[in-house]
Amino acid sequence: MLTRTRKRTQVTSVLGLVTAGAFLLSACSGSGGDSPSETGGPSKDFSYLSFSENTSIKDTLTALSTGECSDANAVAKLKVDNQPQASFDQALQLRAGQTDLTSLFASGNSPQVAKDIESSGVLVDVGAELKAAGLDDAIIPAAKSTVESLYDGKVYVLPTEFNVEGIWYNKKLFADNGIEVPGTWDDLVAAADKLYSAGVQPFSADGTDGWPITRLVGNYIYRSLGADALSDVADGKAKLTDTAYVEAASKVAALGAKGYFGEAVGSIDYTTAVNQFLSGKAGMFYMGSWVLGNFNDPTANQIGNENIGFMPFPAVTGGKGSADELAANVGVPLAMSKFRYDDGAKQWLQCIAKNFGTQSLKDQGVITGFKVDGDVGDVPPLTQTVQDKINETTKTVLWFEALFPPKASTTSQTNAASLVTGGISPEDFMSKIQADLDQE
Amino acid sequence: MTLAPAPVTSQPFVPAGTEPRLRVPRKRRIRSVGVGIISAILIVVVVFPLVWLVLGSLKTQSEFLNNPAFALPENWLNFDNYTRAITEGNLGTYAKNSILAVVPALFLTIALGVAAGFALEVMVWKGRGTVLLIFLAGIMVPGQMILLPLFTIYFKLGLTGSLWPLVITYTAIGLPLTVFMMATYFRAVPREVFEAATLDGASMLRSFFTVGVPLVRNAVFTVALVQFFFIWNDLLIALTFTNREDLRTIQVGLLSFQGQFGQVEYGPTMAAICLNVFGTLLIYLFLNQRMMTGLSAGSVKG
Amino acid sequence: MKQVLGDRRTITLLLAPALTIYTLVILVPVIWSFGYTFFEGNAITGFEFVGLHNLQMLFTDGSVREALSFTVRFAIVLTIVQVTLGYALALLYVFVLRRASNLVRTLAFFPIVLPTVAVGLLFRQLFESAPRVGPVNSLLNLLGIQSVDWFGSSTSAFWVLILMESWRSMGFYAILLYAGLVDVPEETLEAARLDGATGIRLVRHIVIPLSWPVLLSAIIFSINGTLKIFDSVLALTNGGPGSSTTPLTMYMFQTSFSYGKYGYGSSIAFLLTVVCLSVTLFIFRSARRDLTKA
Repeated sequence: MLTRTRKRTQVTSVLGLVTAGAFLLSACSGSGGDSPSETGGPSKDFSYLSFSENTSIKDTLTALSTGECSDANAVAKLKVDNQPQASFDQALQLRAGQTDLTSLFASGNSPQVAKDIESSGVLVDVGAELKAAGLDDAIIPAAKSTVESLYDGKVYVLPTEFNVEGIWYNKKLFADNGIEVPGTWDDLVAAADKLYSAGVQPFSADGTDGWPITRLVGNYIYRSLGADALSDVADGKAKLTDTAYVEAASKVAALGAKGYFGEAVGSIDYTTAVNQFLSGKAGMFYMGSWVLGNFNDPTANQIGNENIGFMPFPAVTGGKGSADELAANVGVPLAMSKFRYDDGAKQWLQCIAKNFGTQSLKDQGVITGFKVDGDVGDVPPLTQTVQDKINETTKTVLWFEALFPPKASTTSQTNAASLVTGGISPEDFMSKIQADLDQE
Repeated sequence: MTLAPAPVTSQPFVPAGTEPRLRVPRKRRIRSVGVGIISAILIVVVVFPLVWLVLGSLKTQSEFLNNPAFALPENWLNFDNYTRAITEGNLGTYAKNSILAVVPALFLTIALGVAAGFALEVMVWKGRGTVLLIFLAGIMVPGQMILLPLFTIYFKLGLTGSLWPLVITYTAIGLPLTVFMMATYFRAVPREVFEAATLDGASMLRSFFTVGVPLVRNAVFTVALVQFFFIWNDLLIALTFTNREDLRTIQVGLLSFQGQFGQVEYGPTMAAICLNVFGTLLIYLFLNQRMMTGLSAGSVKG
Repeated sequence: MKQVLGDRRTITLLLAPALTIYTLVILVPVIWSFGYTFFEGNAITGFEFVGLHNLQMLFTDGSVREALSFTVRFAIVLTIVQVTLGYALALLYVFVLRRASNLVRTLAFFPIVLPTVAVGLLFRQLFESAPRVGPVNSLLNLLGIQSVDWFGSSTSAFWVLILMESWRSMGFYAILLYAGLVDVPEETLEAARLDGATGIRLVRHIVIPLSWPVLLSAIIFSINGTLKIFDSVLALTNGGPGSSTTPLTMYMFQTSFSYGKYGYGSSIAFLLTVVCLSVTLFIFRSARRDLTKA
């Protein structure tokens, strides 16, 4: 009994010491950082809250802080913080509730988040600020159009990324099978038929995330019913259960029924889908221009950049939309907090407007919604093609869920794979989403 | 620092229940073959993922995507993934944070939980049943619920920006189960043991330390083991309360190699998981060793 | 005697720290959150009083019905499977492997050490059907059966989830139950053996009743854990296909934080707590009846 007691005491005291040490250390690391300013008053930092998963924006900002924006950085030092995407909306909600938003922050997983924050009146009116500074033209027209259609005609976010979306195709597979670049949906289906009978999977698609499939539905709707088709749904002027809308879902489901997306599409994740296209196993791939990062990586790209072509989503015969209206998005745009909009932040905003586009394209190969002037070095040819395409585009359309509340988006994306594997009928798919829209 | 060398057992190895259980000798050999087979199957079933993990951590992205899941890596000496996991994945800092948050929380949970379990099960007073039920209710509430209020509280107290929110939350979250289990274990101890101690004139506080705690020592290590893995593997709380990069825990760090559009860099992710798993295995083996010592001392059966 | 065992000062000293922390960190926030049940909105937009609207919505929301049905089915099946497997393993340790059980015990516990993210990835690969054929489907092919898209239908996804969770937790429950089994007095067992009780009968009539308290707490623990399943589902199926494997916790999390409806999210949490509470009470009740029978 005695020995046991002594041993216990020993163990306890060791544990106690360890605990005390750990407490001290955690207390230290606590005081090491600066505590958030509770009043929300001016701070000496220009803090930026980023998606952990996005590295290009923070790298560009860091590069600017020692380069073009070093003056602004002297006033307010750039401080980058990260939050994983999975918990980002939650983090924004918690921080906004405590008026603890950073100077600059990624605006969340869905446009609705930024709209909510804006409606509580804590966002800087970026558009007005830029106008006052004489930087009206800093945001290119196509990007401005996208931002305005996303955010009820206002500009309170910075398009630090600008992506156009369309169908990337394997030129070699097209040539081998005698396929011309399709101009209409029917041509596209015919091209897919040819590829399939030649033993090539026509489309590669990420069914795990779902959105690459619903993008097809959305594009079809824009092409057949015109550019206002989905804002009509959001405004309640039309319903997704209307025959013309259901047709879009049926057309995409029909591709799936023929096996054109390959086996078990619901289990294919993004990385696998990209790999299927880049290893030449699939002939076509609907994706946004951010995927250029993967295309330009020679270890991932086995078919070669010169073998990849880009086409806008084709027109629908007799439809109201045109193939010139590229689907576009601004990635996750950045917003700025009013509480921390001091002189430093002001200088940063102007500097970002002037230089972000060039820096980002030069260092990261990422196309932004800012005007690019100045030397950008060697841009890979495929990236250049896309950049040219953007410059000649004035009118863009959004994606399927862009104007939907988050619940409807989730319903749409989680059921996308079932739509193309036949697990759910096109009618049910659309009415499920419509039910969520009606709930609002 | 938790890996401080295990205290060397001073007493010789005494098997539990020294008298062998009754068995029939002629069945002995058949039995040992059976035991071997069962053990082998079990080991294969639980260990194969380890093989998969190690294989995966040595593969490049294209090998991972294009070759079968259990294919051997093309280059056995490809440690790039490990280098990236440690440098880009900041594994060192994250591991330090995890230890700094988990160890104090674990110690507190166990210390407070054992004391509360004793007070609720051994001590006799009115209302103890109700208090035990209140603790029990804690394992029924979904953890997601306490996040928003807690965030507000920690913010008002100025605790955000440190590891304190994690330590405090982990301690509290672990309490219901610890209290509940400790009460269960104390229930198994015959009352007379404590009554005898009090007859000797010891105060209850004293008999808690000299009689109560040693009696449930195995249980303490079992509960500690269970709690350790719960809080070590926690993602939800760590994601919510770590608002700065340098406060991230190791589980949050495992998300480092995922991209904004759903890309995953499998190699470095698996390497990071490997390092994490082998680290925790060491801790587990240490705690397990302690459990064994406790059991062989046969303290519960006394 | 009674006086010493009921010493107020000692009780306070031992209980107060735990009770204080528990109250401040768990109870207060829980009650606080339940308060949001009567409000709509979130921390960004502010809260607005809506009375019982959220609670009424619980009854009409199809997603709640689907999630509740999944959660309950999942919790019942998984509790039965994992506690049975765990108990079987624990019996194996104590009565068959005996002192040799150390290594097996250590290894069988191992899966719970793995981060959920890793386990999810592993099982997705094991059950993969395209573009590569995973080990499970390869085995089926070998037997002349076509590959199955395991995650394409809700039934198969459900069972893969059960399998994954059982694999992960059986060693854990085995350890939990083992602690109860080693305390079964040897003399009792021997006496029973002399009376001719062996194998299943020995377990049924002697071992189970004697280890009942620990078994009961394992069941309660398991049912409460499985009703609140979250990260495993997130890692393996992400609630799919569609929303057919979405548990209440996930729906609650989405509603509160992604959909920005914190008040309604709290109501869903409230529902879940009520379910946990009633199931636990039900088990307590039936357990007591069982005990009196025995």
